[in-house]
Amino acid sequence: MHRLDRIFEQSSRSLAQRTSRRSFVAVLGQILTGSLLLPLLPIDRVSRAAAASLEPDAAPPPPAHKSPATAAHQAGSDDPQSCDYWKYCAIDGFLCSCCGGSSHSCPPGTAMSAVAWIGTCHNPGDGRDYIVTYNDCCGKTSCGNCGCNRNERERPLYRLLRNNDINWCVANADSNYHCTVSVILGLAEKDQK
Amino acid sequence: MSRWRWSVSALVLVSASAVASPTQDYVLNCMGCHGATAEGVPGKVPPLAHTLLQFMRSPAGRSYVLRVPGASNSRLSDVQLAAVLNWIAGNFGSVTLAVSTPPFTAQEVAATRHTPMASLRATRREVLKELAASGPAPSEDY
Repeated sequence: MHRLDRIFEQSSRSLAQRTSRRSFVAVLGQILTGSLLLPLLPIDRVSRAAAASLEPDAAPPPPAHKSPATAAHQAGSDDPQSCDYWKYCAIDGFLCSCCGGSSHSCPPGTAMSAVAWIGTCHNPGDGRDYIVTYNDCCGKTSCGNCGCNRNERERPLYRLLRNNDINWCVANADSNYHCTVSVILGLAEKDQK
Repeated sequence: MSRWRWSVSALVLVSASAVASPTQDYVLNCMGCHGATAEGVPGKVPPLAHTLLQFMRSPAGRSYVLRVPGASNSRLSDVQLAAVLNWIAGNFGSVTLAVSTPPFTAQEVAATRHTPMASLRATRREVLKELAASGPAPSEDY
């Protein structure tokens, strides 16, 4: 036992003589600072957005949370399952991309609404305005996932065609509302206020 | 090109300098309900294709078109509303009727659109009856 103590004592003294505690603290500080700054580096998400707009009809996994309305709207997310996605600028309802469909196609078992609300959304990625149609998907009860309520350029109910509280399934045979898609129709000629 | 088409083109050119084109105005203000081909939804949303020109044939029909909620309450200016209605009539209507039917003007829209209808259904019934008596008209269940 006495011998074991002596071995540990010698190795500890040898390590203390060969290494600097100050340099260890300096290296540890660099690693910690670097790992904190890494997420702040700019990342190009344009290619991911393009891929998202061409996503197949396969059902994506539902997210565990709903995205709240934040200042990120101005930044324009590219995530089809986020309320901050730029083409959802005036959406009010559940995202079909969280309900077994995609950002522009209805989930199986539902039908796209015959009538829709059409507006424009600004894409911060290229600085242009796009004409977007919001169609409800009808024929099932409410999906309940990814509820969004963004009201850019929305108007009160007496401006029926500019209000997004309407159930656009009203003209379908089955008027049960399930979720909402956002389909890009093309470039807008000018910004519509 | 007919005189009617020339006057529509002139209207479009005049308005294009200040506002979006009638095509975009149709997409943003009408297409959501009336559809890409202006056929409407049977039993729910009345069609504009072909029928708009029929309404434009008579003063009562023109007045009715300008006073329906979608037109009278729209955010379009009088110039824009006249241009988009003429655009619909020219793109989704019969060429024969278009030649003989005068287009809407901003003055006509301004003078008519804000006069409310006591009963939309009753007015429509009377207009349809009058149109049917004088030529092609939308069906009674329009």
